Amino acid sequence: MAKKLSRRSFLKKTMAYSATAVAAATALVPEKAAAKEDPILKKQPWEVNAGDPVDIHPYGFPSPYEHNVVRRTHELLSSGDKRASVAMCPIHELDGIITPNGLFFTRTHGGIAQIDPNEHRLMIHGLVEKPLVFTVEDLKKMPSESRIHFIECPANSSTAWRGPQFNSLQFIKGMMSCAEWTGVPVRYLLEMAGVKPEAKWVLAEGGDSSHMARTLPIEKMLDDAMVVYAQNGEALRPEQGYPLRLLVPGWEGNLNVKWLRRLKLGDKPWHAKEETSKYTMLTPGGKAIQYFWPMEVNSVITNPCPEKPWTHLKKGDIVEIEGLAWSGQGTIKGVDISFDGGKNWVPAKLKGLVLPKAWTRFSYIYKWEGKPLLLCSRAYDETGTVQPTVGQEIAKMGVEAIYHRNAIITWEVKANGEVNHVEIRKPLVDIAKEAGWRK
Amino acid sequence: MRKFRHIITTLSIAAIAVVTSSASASEKMVKLKDGRVIIKTHVLPFKKKNIDGSAPYKRHGEYVGPYRINPQAEKVAKKLPYGQKATKEEIKAWDIDVRPDGLGLPVGKGTVDEGEALYEKKCQMCHGDFGTGGKGFPPLAGGDHDSLKNQLLDPNAGDEPPVRTIGTYWPYASTIFWYVKSGMPFPHPMTLTDDETYALTAYLLNVNDITFKNGDDIEYLDNKNFLNVVMPNHDGFYPDVDGPHAKQNIKNLLAHPEKYGDVTYRCMKNCIKGKVPVVHITNELKGFNPPMSTKRDWGGMNWILPNAGHKESFEEKVYNKVCSACHSNKAIGAPMIGDKEAWAKVLKKGIDKVYENAIKGVGAMPPKGGTNLSDEDFKKVVDYIISKSK
Repeated sequence: MAKKLSRRSFLKKTMAYSATAVAAATALVPEKAAAKEDPILKKQPWEVNAGDPVDIHPYGFPSPYEHNVVRRTHELLSSGDKRASVAMCPIHELDGIITPNGLFFTRTHGGIAQIDPNEHRLMIHGLVEKPLVFTVEDLKKMPSESRIHFIECPANSSTAWRGPQFNSLQFIKGMMSCAEWTGVPVRYLLEMAGVKPEAKWVLAEGGDSSHMARTLPIEKMLDDAMVVYAQNGEALRPEQGYPLRLLVPGWEGNLNVKWLRRLKLGDKPWHAKEETSKYTMLTPGGKAIQYFWPMEVNSVITNPCPEKPWTHLKKGDIVEIEGLAWSGQGTIKGVDISFDGGKNWVPAKLKGLVLPKAWTRFSYIYKWEGKPLLLCSRAYDETGTVQPTVGQEIAKMGVEAIYHRNAIITWEVKANGEVNHVEIRKPLVDIAKEAGWRK
Repeated sequence: MRKFRHIITTLSIAAIAVVTSSASASEKMVKLKDGRVIIKTHVLPFKKKNIDGSAPYKRHGEYVGPYRINPQAEKVAKKLPYGQKATKEEIKAWDIDVRPDGLGLPVGKGTVDEGEALYEKKCQMCHGDFGTGGKGFPPLAGGDHDSLKNQLLDPNAGDEPPVRTIGTYWPYASTIFWYVKSGMPFPHPMTLTDDETYALTAYLLNVNDITFKNGDDIEYLDNKNFLNVVMPNHDGFYPDVDGPHAKQNIKNLLAHPEKYGDVTYRCMKNCIKGKVPVVHITNELKGFNPPMSTKRDWGGMNWILPNAGHKESFEEKVYNKVCSACHSNKAIGAPMIGDKEAWAKVLKKGIDKVYENAIKGVGAMPPKGGTNLSDEDFKKVVDYIISKSK
């Protein structure tokens, strides 16, 4: 049996790997090709045995060798059970700007609803001329648009306000993903219902058990908001709101209401639970910012990172430094890189598609000298806004805001290539004193 | 401020999206008095920005930003033959939101005492006695409003964190009513009556020491006296989004990035004076699920189909969907599935008593776990849990 054979030989190989792996404190050491047997000189089981039949599974799966490329959870990031919780996207393993649907980060407030699309409706009511109900099929028949946009939870990096705690890119920045979305512009639906002039706000509500709702300004709904039913070419996954989700490009993930069933137009905001008790930023002095919608300009180096260190590099090796930049306020204009913790900076190159409110890849070709680095990136967008240092952000926002942390992220690259999450800043008390909100 | 303009560099910025990019620009490096060398970015003027501070899409012919569109689609939107008129009954069934001005408050009434009894039955197992929390779910009461001024910068210097509960942080009582009605109790939302929701809201305000604005104690809440509640933190938020200038207020914040810590220059040289201050991880958070690994080893087919070849039984299905919310969560205090000791203790009462409790409800557990299964079917589920706990 081909499968048995291959499994046995790989078990053997795995054992050989783990024996040679050098265990660092927390740094992960990637597998090196085994030197014992030249894979070219030996016959591989997959070349001397026919493979699986094409109908082995009507819906395909990644290779079993990719089983470590998965969403991960941490108990500190969820309430008591895994229904009001978050699963982090393995962004350290992603290439390009599109996140596969099975890896898209997942945040739910009442568990993942499994909705029957035949029983699902979208209602538009409130301050409209003609309240309407749409079936999912209705929406799919309408003229559609497809756009590539990231969705990011505003609590991304919230564990780092008082200092770094996770030594993992997946857990520092994994509350975000980027996909191509297909659906109907909300303004079509509002035109069909007829917006009354006094309508200034729209309540968007989900049909899952949390009935999560948020207030949005009508301006966004008439601009680029969409009701989407597809993600990367297929129906939304249940964990992304199947069958319908609101997409508000560039804005807080929470505003992209999943399992969308209702849009209600009104003359005042609603002050839902997720826009008062949560998703508000407490600032020094005790007042909190509310209705802060866009995700600010941001970036992170994805290669190297704590999960993908440079332990395999020799002095003098050429390597590509790569990362992701994104802004909810427009298109990424550029990214700078620093090797000394932000003392001096050089521009990196953008590569691939550069789209508004979408992940953008940046690149820098570097010669590794085997000397310790403090490696960081800093993005700026077409509005001219530049990603702040940790100190600049804390001076304004304090450390209790929870949400919307977009300060520069720094990797400490050690001489042996290990990568650790660090922060470049003065003691918090000194920042606060300089900013004037701590005596 | 004296400025030098000697160092000029050209940044080539990839312009892939033909319509949106305004070509690359030569940007001036400026040396500041303190030695830093910066580049000021081209800031989009406030007037041109959208309400959220974003750059508007450039529209040009068949382009919106970098995307091509079908301009005909826009024109026909109004004429599309889809969507049906929502009936009054349909709107009423789904119109569950409640606004601070009272819009959406249903007719009803509930007392603090009724709320307390309900709370102990349906909420206490997760939110603790009197809303004190402590079981992995958020506390609902406690803390001082003044604590919101706290910033936990240095615990060793005696800094305390701010405490965000209903009493200290929530600006409106309407949010409690709406959230309890639509989202609680967590395993079975939308099962409370309006009277029960008033009662629970009254109780939650009571345990937070909140009174009516004239100082009278809250003994009951109904749709008439509800608007007399003013929360301690009602003016704790900005910008003002309720008045006539709501949208300007919001734009005044969002379109001024310097107000929330962002900047509009790129420091390129000598950005940090002296030694670079590095903060390392002191208490590393570990315990990822599944454990972190980047190995490309043979995972077998089971990682893809963890239950391959395993068909979920009826009992298992009910357990996973309904019972697991409490019986797989240590924090709640129900006997955990697989906990032999706990179940042995339960079974001491005799299996008939266990069935009876499960069917009629016991303590925090609703009758039949909130399902509408037959007695016989629910007994099977109980048997399943017991079989897994031996």
